[in-house]
Amino acid sequence: MNNSKFEYIRCHICEAVNYVDNKETKCRRCHEKIEHNLKFSYHKTLAFLITAIIFYFPANLYPILISKQFGKTTTNTIMEGIIHLWDSGSYPIALIILLASVFVPLLKFVLIIYLLISTKYNIHSSKLDKHKLFYITEAIGPWSMVDVFVVIILSVLIHFSEVKIYPGKGATAFGLMVFFTMISALSFDPRLINHQKGDTSNAKP
Amino acid sequence: MITEEELDNLIICKKCHTLHKKVPISHNKKAFCSKCDILLYQNCPNTIDKTLALVITAAISLFVAFKFTIVTIDIQGLEKSLTLYALFMVILEQHQYIVGIMFIFLIVIFPITIIFSMLLLLILMKLKKGAYMVQRLLILLAHIRPWSMVDIFFISLLVAMVKLFDYAYIELGVSFVALVFTLILDIIITKNISFYELWELHTKIYGWHE
Ligand SMILES: [Zn+2]
Ligand SMILES: [Zn+2]
Repeated sequence: MNNSKFEYIRCHICEAVNYVDNKETKCRRCHEKIEHNLKFSYHKTLAFLITAIIFYFPANLYPILISKQFGKTTTNTIMEGIIHLWDSGSYPIALIILLASVFVPLLKFVLIIYLLISTKYNIHSSKLDKHKLFYITEAIGPWSMVDVFVVIILSVLIHFSEVKIYPGKGATAFGLMVFFTMISALSFDPRLINHQKGDTSNAKP
Repeated sequence: MITEEELDNLIICKKCHTLHKKVPISHNKKAFCSKCDILLYQNCPNTIDKTLALVITAAISLFVAFKFTIVTIDIQGLEKSLTLYALFMVILEQHQYIVGIMFIFLIVIFPITIIFSMLLLLILMKLKKGAYMVQRLLILLAHIRPWSMVDIFFISLLVAMVKLFDYAYIELGVSFVALVFTLILDIIITKNISFYELWELHTKIYGWHE
């Protein structure tokens, strides 16, 4: 890796440009710590990602929504909910839930795994593209929460003596999955991309 | 070695991490990244006053959104309203602590913290007082900004309403309008002043060291 080489770093708190080598330092503006150990960031990202992937299974297998109607209980997993919506003709809503709950988490997993592998093994592709990918990963993350919020809203509204809806185990698992994916992305230090060997196009202003 | 002034004149794009040299721009002009076209910085006169007015309005409308009824549904004469209070009660009653705590933090506590930190730091900046306090508030904001999900809550609300459309008569409450208003204001505030510009103003007003 780069030994005692100075580089420009964007502080992740105040966005000021710092020019530092790989010693432990503080940001010149906000005085927050600038992490010098990128391996730590790498492992944190990986650990949180694995936790998130583990939660992905109960999130999809357990019911996210339980409804009790006149003593009869029915449960719905995320996929069942989407199929139900599709069958009842709510195509746009079915698509929104499918995108937000199924594809966005998977896409985030794939993107983070790609970033981790490609920065570790210096797979040749543009650093610019990787930074953009990471930016997208961060931006789409929270949108997976839509389905959990919908269930919570429904559980407040459909709360009569004979008819009730409440969140199932799947909702808890799903919420935790989104939480850990977001932490994983936030732990990823963009410098991992810069430190990858290959072109040094980022060095010049 | 590179001097502080030289560093002050550099900016790294938040999207593509390209290093740019800042160029002076005239009033009401914006500078964009040469690689990905994202806004880097802008030059608006009296941003603090404008943003302060917007933040005060947003704080009031967020208060209204949380205080009153968001929607009321009517299923064959049975009525139920969605309010923050009803939400707390349901969470306690159903023992949904993990989901409930997440919801309360993402939808209520973080958005309120953000808006009041903004309010406080803008007032302090306007008075040119409390350099350290403003700095701490800005650092706090940097940490909790990714965790505020009012916009996602609003989309979820629309989805929930569509799901109920066939079974229930839906009536929008005062808070629903306030929620829309808050979101619009939030977009305008983000357009008006970026986090980077808040830090730049901090530096301009208080200097580098407190
Ligand atoms: Zn900083
Ligand atoms: Zn850029």
